[in-house]
Amino acid sequence: MVLLVTATLLAAQVALAQHGVPASTAAPLVAAASDLQFALDEIVRRFQGDTGIAPRITYGSSGNFARQIEQGAPFELFLSADESYVLRLAERRLTRGPGSLYAIGRLVLFVPHGSPLQPDPQLKHLAARLASGDAGRLAIANPEHAPYGRAAEQALRSLGLWEAARPKLLYGENVAQAAQFASSGNADGGIVAYSLALAPALRERGTFALLPEELHAPLRQRMVLLERASPAAARLYDYLRSPASREILRQHGFVLPEN
Amino acid sequence: MDWTALGLSLRLGLVTVVLLLPLSFLLARWLAFGRFRGRGLVEALVALPLILPPTVVGFYLLVAFGRSSPVGAAFESLFGEPLVFSFEGLVLASLLVNLPFAVQPMQNALAAIPPNVRDAARCCGLSPLQAVRHVELPLALPGIATGAVLTFAHTLGEFGVVLMVGGSIPGETRTISIAIYDRVQAFDEPAAGAMALLLLVIAVVALGITNTLARRAGRRD
Amino acid sequence: MTAKAGLQVRLRRAAPFALDVAFEAPAGSITALFGPSGSGKTTVLRAIAGLQPMDDARISCGDGTWTDTAAGLTIPPHRRPVGFVFQDYALFPHLTVCEQLALSLGHRPAAERPARIDALLELVQLQELGERRPAALSGGQQQRAALARALARDPAVLLLDEPFAAVDWALRESLRRELVRLQRALSLTVVLVTHDFEDVAKLASHLVVIEHGAVTAHGPVEALTARNAVPGVSGWREPAVALDACIEAHESERQLTVITAGDLRLEVPTIAAPVGAPVRIQLAAREVILASRRPEGLSLHNVVEAEVVAIEPASHPALRLVHLRVGETRVLSLVTADAERKLGLAPRQPVLALIKAVAVEAFA
Repeated sequence: MVLLVTATLLAAQVALAQHGVPASTAAPLVAAASDLQFALDEIVRRFQGDTGIAPRITYGSSGNFARQIEQGAPFELFLSADESYVLRLAERRLTRGPGSLYAIGRLVLFVPHGSPLQPDPQLKHLAARLASGDAGRLAIANPEHAPYGRAAEQALRSLGLWEAARPKLLYGENVAQAAQFASSGNADGGIVAYSLALAPALRERGTFALLPEELHAPLRQRMVLLERASPAAARLYDYLRSPASREILRQHGFVLPEN
Repeated sequence: MDWTALGLSLRLGLVTVVLLLPLSFLLARWLAFGRFRGRGLVEALVALPLILPPTVVGFYLLVAFGRSSPVGAAFESLFGEPLVFSFEGLVLASLLVNLPFAVQPMQNALAAIPPNVRDAARCCGLSPLQAVRHVELPLALPGIATGAVLTFAHTLGEFGVVLMVGGSIPGETRTISIAIYDRVQAFDEPAAGAMALLLLVIAVVALGITNTLARRAGRRD
Repeated sequence: MTAKAGLQVRLRRAAPFALDVAFEAPAGSITALFGPSGSGKTTVLRAIAGLQPMDDARISCGDGTWTDTAAGLTIPPHRRPVGFVFQDYALFPHLTVCEQLALSLGHRPAAERPARIDALLELVQLQELGERRPAALSGGQQQRAALARALARDPAVLLLDEPFAAVDWALRESLRRELVRLQRALSLTVVLVTHDFEDVAKLASHLVVIEHGAVTAHGPVEALTARNAVPGVSGWREPAVALDACIEAHESERQLTVITAGDLRLEVPTIAAPVGAPVRIQLAAREVILASRRPEGLSLHNVVEAEVVAIEPASHPALRLVHLRVGETRVLSLVTADAERKLGLAPRQPVLALIKAVAVEAFA
């Protein structure tokens, strides 16, 4: 009986596993900041349609990726939500050059349907609820390693709300997880990426208010090819800079940098 | 349903079991029958992964096998790829983390063999190797099977260590448990739910098998 | 392949408890290692099998040396021609009787094994039970299976550790008989560990008494019992001699059997064994009456001419233990001090020993 089970499992995994796809040739490995979740998926779908190349994307926090790349993670293309991570990697000669700026990110206050919190660009309602002590949890990405989290902290500080809000904060490992917390109904809302708030999955769950750029340091999002990048990865990099891709980024709420 | 991730998890589970079983049998045998002074310490070390938070284990594994460590550097010079963030790195982490799940049931099963029976095997003209083959292995089989099933099920569910050491690389280190996490963050609850349900079913089946084996072992006496 | 070789044993060990033992087990005989629990007897047995390391040891059987620490030689248990019957039998729980025997027959060519298994099963009378696992066997059957497994090794020495301890008294007698039968049939050299003197009296021809890890007495059972000199026993056991006898004749009309133990000739109630068969008898000192002249009109069957060898005090101040000689055979008699005075008993004095036929305990 044990033999039968083992045999079945062996057959299953042989059938299912994409065994040892060499790191580069067919499927370039991409590390992307989680605010790009939906935008990049769409761009990559088109890319795959056009070229037949199927990149493998891992979403996460930019800080985590930078650390992993330093430790030898085999990524070929890194789309960071904060250019300082890219520049640091370039300094350590882990990249091919300084890369290029692909987008400027924006923050929103997202609020799920049924939340007592009302979104407004100056977070006035939030301030009131914090002052009265009625405020519930507020989700942001972890400022330690997620650029959007850092920007959220800066925004709260600019509005003088940081000390009051701090005890109420929920930290997501990256901005997508923060958005997930914000929309789950377990929090009043969250300060997350504009690009995520525009996505269908979030849009139907709540409303949001776009926060003014002046409230935080600009989210300069830079991408770069890494040392071990394959030609396929280089093609994707170029594709991302094409007008068509930029248009998709714009539609997803990114501000395009001057070229 | 992320079939690649499922396949990866199954492969990781199987490879771990196949590699760990002989290693842990030897270790279990040494702990069960050896009379040496450091035994308590070795048992505690073996049990450590049970108590340590997975992130602690992951952290120390990164320190021990990362690029700048001797082991990591050696691996990279041999194979051209770093040990961490690879399937091989996951296997190594999995072997260490699953040690108690494999060793403890085997050790208990072996220790339950009456010492006289083992002596009798020697007095029947069986060399130590023959005694293992004809007497110890058959009598410890339920414990060995339990160790294998627990290791497999635990590997499928392992998350913290895999995430830290593996990096969620699709097709390479994105196991099904990480894929679930990934799908939740992408607001794809149906996919996450389907995979979670599958893991739940596997866990229940694993429990059922180990219970049956335990009962069968009890009946034998 | 049974080597008719005696066993020489010398062992010394300091920890966990001190052990200093030296003795010989003559070939083709049953030697009992006797002593209280915890005296080290089982340790000695295990050392003979090679299961117990010793600080300083020399164990040899005939021409082969099994252990010699001085020369750095220790043959592992699986290469010694010993069969070991453990106290709890230690049968392999997952194997049938036949499979256990087959495992033990590794030293024989595969073609010979099935026949050998059948022969062994017949020897211990387990013919119908070969396909059973230990759990499906009774205590006595398990013991016989363990015995067969030990014999399968064609051992030079058969080692038994308290083989009858786990068995009830009814079964014990029949198992004792069986062991004696096997030993005689195969001329085995047997070393038997026991704390029950009945085993010694009924089975063993040689005795090694071990107390607190040391040998306190060593010699033939007959001689030791005749001198009432068995340590650990003399204190609490009624003095009695254990003698090897032989059936001389059966007197069927009188329902009596005549047996001779050396120079001692006795009539006893019929023993179910053929003429010439060996019998082990025990004669308690309290059952031997002394007389200065031949009595008449008594139910008595055995009136034996004897000579007093020595008289010594007995457990009770009013009693005396009289050592008698019937030819070369020794007998003991327990009488009161008053009787000693009445008969004027003294060494070298001829006297008649009156022994009831019923008083002779025979084991055949």
